[in-house]
Amino acid sequence: MRHHYWEWPIASYLFLGGLGGGIYFLAMIFSFNVLPSYQEVGWVFAWPGFIGLLCLGFGCFLLVFELGQPGVFYRCFIKSTSIICWGARLLSVCLIFGFFWFLSYLPLGGFAEFMAFFRPFNLILAGVSGLGIMLYTGLMFSTLKSHAFWATPALPVLFTVSALSTACAAVTLSIGWWPAESTVNNLVVATYISEVLHMIDIILVIAEIIILLLYVLSLVGAGNVTAKKVADRWVKGKTAPIFWGLMVGCGLVLPLIMYIVGAGTVAATFIAPWIVLLSGLLLRFLFVYSDDRRAIPGEEHYYNKLPKGDEAFMTRWEYGKNEF
Amino acid sequence: MTEAEGHKGFFQDLFEKPSMDTEVDIHAPGVTMVKSLCYFCHANCGVLAYVKDGDVIKIEGDPNYTNQGGLCCRGTSALLHVNHPGRINHALKRVGEKGEGKWEQIDYDQAIKEVAERLNQIKAESGAEAIASAGGTTRTDDWARRRFLNIFGTPNGFHNALLCWIPTFMAETCVCGWSPFETDLGTARCLILWGMNPGASTLPGMHGYTDLQMGGMKIIYVDPRYSETAAKADLWLPLRPGTDAALALAMLNVIIRERLYNKEFVNTWCDGFADLKAHIKQYSPAWASKITWLSADQIRTAARMYATNTPGCIQWGCTWDQIGRASTTGSHAIALLRAVTGNLDVPGADGIPGPAINFLTDEEMEANEWLPEEQKAKQIGSNKFKLTSWPGYQLISDNARRKWGKTLPVEWFCEAHGPSVFKAIITGDPYQVRGLIVNATNPINSYGDAKMTLEALKKVEFLVVVEYWMTPTALFADYIFPAAGALERPIIVTHYGATDSLMGGSRAIQPKYDRHTDMVFWRKLGLACGQDPALWPWETEEEANFEIIKPLGLPVNSWDEFVSQVRQYYPPLHQSKFISNGGFWTPSGKVELNSTILRQLGYPGMPTYIGCIENEIDTPEIAEEYPIVLTTGGGFMPFHHSEHFNMPYTRYLYPDPYFDINPELAEKLGIKQGDWCWIETRRGRIKMRAEVQPSVDPRVVFCPRGWWFPERDGSADLDNPFGCLESNVNTLTSVDDEHCDPMGGSWANRGLMCKVYKCGELDKEFTKKDSQWSIPGSSSVPGVTVMPSDQPLAREPIPFEVPQPDFEVPEGYDWCWQDNQLYQKGTFFRYDASGWLVNPRNKSYYDAYTGWRYDADSQCLVDDATGKIYDMNRQEIVYFGNVQCFPGQPAPYELPGLVEWDMERGAGFLPGTDLVYDPNSGWVIDVNAGVYYDAYSGYAYDPTDNTLVDMQTGKRYDMNTRQEIV
Amino acid sequence: MTRYVMVIDQRRCIGCHSCTVACRTWNKLPMDIVYNPVVSDGVQGTWPNVHRNWLPTLCMHCEKPACVPACPTGASQQDEDGTVWIDYTKCMACKVCVNACPYGMRDQSKVEPRLHRFVRKCTFCRERRKMDPEAVPYCVQTCHQKARIFGDLDDPNSEVSKLIGSVETVRLMEDLGTGPQIYYIPDLGGRR
Repeated sequence: MRHHYWEWPIASYLFLGGLGGGIYFLAMIFSFNVLPSYQEVGWVFAWPGFIGLLCLGFGCFLLVFELGQPGVFYRCFIKSTSIICWGARLLSVCLIFGFFWFLSYLPLGGFAEFMAFFRPFNLILAGVSGLGIMLYTGLMFSTLKSHAFWATPALPVLFTVSALSTACAAVTLSIGWWPAESTVNNLVVATYISEVLHMIDIILVIAEIIILLLYVLSLVGAGNVTAKKVADRWVKGKTAPIFWGLMVGCGLVLPLIMYIVGAGTVAATFIAPWIVLLSGLLLRFLFVYSDDRRAIPGEEHYYNKLPKGDEAFMTRWEYGKNEF
Repeated sequence: MTEAEGHKGFFQDLFEKPSMDTEVDIHAPGVTMVKSLCYFCHANCGVLAYVKDGDVIKIEGDPNYTNQGGLCCRGTSALLHVNHPGRINHALKRVGEKGEGKWEQIDYDQAIKEVAERLNQIKAESGAEAIASAGGTTRTDDWARRRFLNIFGTPNGFHNALLCWIPTFMAETCVCGWSPFETDLGTARCLILWGMNPGASTLPGMHGYTDLQMGGMKIIYVDPRYSETAAKADLWLPLRPGTDAALALAMLNVIIRERLYNKEFVNTWCDGFADLKAHIKQYSPAWASKITWLSADQIRTAARMYATNTPGCIQWGCTWDQIGRASTTGSHAIALLRAVTGNLDVPGADGIPGPAINFLTDEEMEANEWLPEEQKAKQIGSNKFKLTSWPGYQLISDNARRKWGKTLPVEWFCEAHGPSVFKAIITGDPYQVRGLIVNATNPINSYGDAKMTLEALKKVEFLVVVEYWMTPTALFADYIFPAAGALERPIIVTHYGATDSLMGGSRAIQPKYDRHTDMVFWRKLGLACGQDPALWPWETEEEANFEIIKPLGLPVNSWDEFVSQVRQYYPPLHQSKFISNGGFWTPSGKVELNSTILRQLGYPGMPTYIGCIENEIDTPEIAEEYPIVLTTGGGFMPFHHSEHFNMPYTRYLYPDPYFDINPELAEKLGIKQGDWCWIETRRGRIKMRAEVQPSVDPRVVFCPRGWWFPERDGSADLDNPFGCLESNVNTLTSVDDEHCDPMGGSWANRGLMCKVYKCGELDKEFTKKDSQWSIPGSSSVPGVTVMPSDQPLAREPIPFEVPQPDFEVPEGYDWCWQDNQLYQKGTFFRYDASGWLVNPRNKSYYDAYTGWRYDADSQCLVDDATGKIYDMNRQEIVYFGNVQCFPGQPAPYELPGLVEWDMERGAGFLPGTDLVYDPNSGWVIDVNAGVYYDAYSGYAYDPTDNTLVDMQTGKRYDMNTRQEIV
Repeated sequence: MTRYVMVIDQRRCIGCHSCTVACRTWNKLPMDIVYNPVVSDGVQGTWPNVHRNWLPTLCMHCEKPACVPACPTGASQQDEDGTVWIDYTKCMACKVCVNACPYGMRDQSKVEPRLHRFVRKCTFCRERRKMDPEAVPYCVQTCHQKARIFGDLDDPNSEVSKLIGSVETVRLMEDLGTGPQIYYIPDLGGRR
């Protein structure tokens, strides 16, 4: 039966968190591993970093907004056994040090120069915590064993791949903008990174297709009753048009074709990344709304008969306000 | 950290302080515990109410009561009920048009005064009988209503009693002298639960059944529905709804044919067995099989199981009184099942409690002597449905007085025929009823033919309603009075005044706002109508209840003291009373297998089958259009009758009306779980949602009763106020006279025929056309087409000539033809062959001339009223202390020593004193001080040292020698 | 040590919902919160060979609850006697625990004013028992059928210990490894 407590803000947050984390992770990898000797890498990644900050910030806002008690969100850092506690800590680290790192690229004169000194340090912290964010969203869902469709070891993998893939797409779309000056060097580096990301994203999208299909189809075949029910819904039930048509077809296969066939055209550099981003968002929605729980015998029958919540008798009388 | 403290987040504190104190400390100082009773159904479970500062803060089930600490959905909601914002809290006077919902709050006593004036005016113009009063389930104590009506002079009080126990009670009383309704399950080997579902209606009972069943008792369960109780039964007989009488008759047939009856009991204690044997032949299992849909073998198995596993019990079920024309026939047959198997009043069987001899019965509180004979004759419906109105009641009651010495209440057991009263309001036939006082009922939802009832309530000239809520009925009232509910009233449980045990509860709090208890309402109304205050000596229920229990002689000084110290009174266990009584409490003294009272009333003396008003055998043409059998009327959690639909916390669990339909039938009709469907009979249609499950036969649907929608605006649709017709099964029932039980007058909730179809897109609203009423109910022409008095009965009366005595009955005596005995008028004492009167209560002999009781020990007569004692010549025996006096006579015994005879006082005295000589002991006695004096010396006797003392000098003397001891 | 558990005797339960309503009123729950639903599949089988069972539920007060470690704030806790409860001074209503509970026994009201919307759950009437150590949870007391039995599993003389030792009991979703502490005596249709 459905066990629906998390709404669209959580789905959006999962997407934004992974995306933001992924951008910092990519910035770190490119700065320290791919082109360690090029200062330009930082500059061209500054704007994507800012986008990442926005994603993370807005994601956090949605997260807090979705809390029953937003005023006391700070309570979430307390208990280390909880995965989302770690998520919150990683998010904070990524946000804070990502912001510091971003500050160093702004035209703030001496302050920026001062901050530039800490760039590597800030970027390592933000990048590592970004990786953590990407991993943790899937990890958290996969530990909720009440939801058979989520609780598989493949889910963190899928979410991480998807997060990275969306991050690649976002970076290709935004790399090299302000505050990077349009120098030749910056342009060359940005183009180079774009091309590398292009290749990486092709691999990631292929991986994502494989993992997603394996994930869903294996649950159709070998999942327990609850997981199979959801998987069946995806493959041949109510969700099938969205899954096959929007998610797999338009969301993954189509951009893949554009990436491969239309290399160098607007389709590959502009449209495909946007599609990848949207499909990443859709993936989170599909998962969050596949919140089926194994029902206790008779539970479904019981809850189906209960009011939906808008029945007149529920609000007709207010205790304390006598009528006659 | 408690939940109450749980608000430290700055955001919360910024806005408001939420209250989430879920725990109240009942052990805190200032909290008192009151033993109260639940008031939401007849089970009246024990409730412990914790009261602080005049308000109840928590309730719990009383672990030391029959409910063993349990409380059901309704009981645990008592606090939500008492504080419900929809409760009527003040007297309301209508200011707009009827039904418009415009009210003026007025003072309670002022409202009483205005109502009384109007009632008196109607009485002056049209006679007292033009006022009627409808009741619902006042949960056992409703004598005050009858007291008011009797003194006011109208016979037209009624409840929904005909659907609930009363016809059964009367039939059973005709058979064995009182309803054997007290099952002795402890040693029973077999229990038939028949047409009842304790799993949804009387939970304390269900607990007991479950315990006994786990201990090995077998439960036979008769119900067309796989109910909560069926799920736990050992043998389940899913019969066709409404055919219980056929099943009972066939079981009786099997028991008699297979000689499984208790021969010794039948020979010794029963009368008319030969008649029954011949009569019952026609009702073979094969015959019943066609009617009941049970196989002949199932019927035989059940009959054998009951007859061979004695002792056994049959628990009464509401269904017996709700199958329509055969209701009383069915309960009569079941009464005979008990009789021929000897399962009457013996250990492990159905016990006959009889009326309460040890405390006042409800009947004694009703002031029935105030209702003149000519008013009794005007009781509406009493010319048709005689068993449960004055003609039948009079016979049964007179007999009860003769045999028990007390009788059953008039309230509930002798009432006007409710639907006939509503018809009289509409048609003026037999006369115009102009005023109606409705107390604790919502007739639209609880009486048959809801559309006609709604019309009557709209049409009645003067409508007064005493209620908790703004019901569809209250909406049309001229005055609404607020009623005190659970926790606000003391409760006395005497099972409708028909048993000899008693239980009680105190009120936890005084009624809130301007709410009043029922007795206070009737008392105030009575006084305002000009009734003598001496007739209403009790200002509160506590005072009246204490009056009721006073004769018990318990060491308590008030009702509340009784509740807190005693709470439950049971007379000593008294089974097999018929043996010590020398017979049963019927007119003939035997268990009457061919009832004389029923015959005298023009009914068959033995149960004679009559089919459901609509069935596939007798009315195939109806069955063709309406092929599905409809059953309804059963209770279901968390509601009771038409109550609790406005309790959101319980309604949450059952928000919409669901009817049960078998998946097989649902598939045929294209109905899926949760679909809204129409259920239509010849009289109308309602809509409910489908609960598709095999809980009923594929030929049957089951609809829950009572539905209305209090959350709606009642005045918005006066054709269907509060949706009171659209999902109300009584829109489907019939109260035409020919459809009512010709004996008890009840109508059918079970075994009607209907059709079911899904609500269409264009046909999903209950329209004005659907609320169209008619008399008779299934007429295709709106309005009255046949006057009620022109409607035939289901069965014409059978002429019966009462035998006449072959001797002259002396003045002041009645002759009872059944037992050929004389009974003194007024006292109902039997005139014995010895020339004495015999009081049935204590079996003592009474002097026929003076009414004084003969005391066998002292061989004298005692006037129990004054306590005076008379000799056998009816001369008063005077005593001085313990010494019998002979005033005006010479001394009948020798006087010793100083004693002198006082002719005037008739005893011997020491001269000039009040010290009297006792010829039995030989001493002179100071009556007041209890001191003994020597008759010869006048010295007092000192028992401490066994000497005599001269009181003047203080000197002591020897006992024998009277020598001074120095 | 004390280990509070509940035994639920399905042979006795008749689905009257008294425990559900009693809990709602005693704990003053919001309209749409049900701590202890009595669920049932309805009547099963083919007429007239049918059967029906009721399954009274509540928080399983698991030995290894999934909800407690999932809680980021430490509001969800477990007492030494096994009682799982929520400290509202710590809860921020993130609903991770709601999603973690395999039995669906945690909930958050949709009709309460927003700032009251903590996650709620059955606490075995923790407050009630604190005030009166003799008290049992209110659903246990209110059950007419005595189908709910509450007690200390570590006390060999308690009714629950004796029942669990003598009658076959089952627990819900034991395969998840949460060690639920509600023991059911099933009604196996063949009756007692």
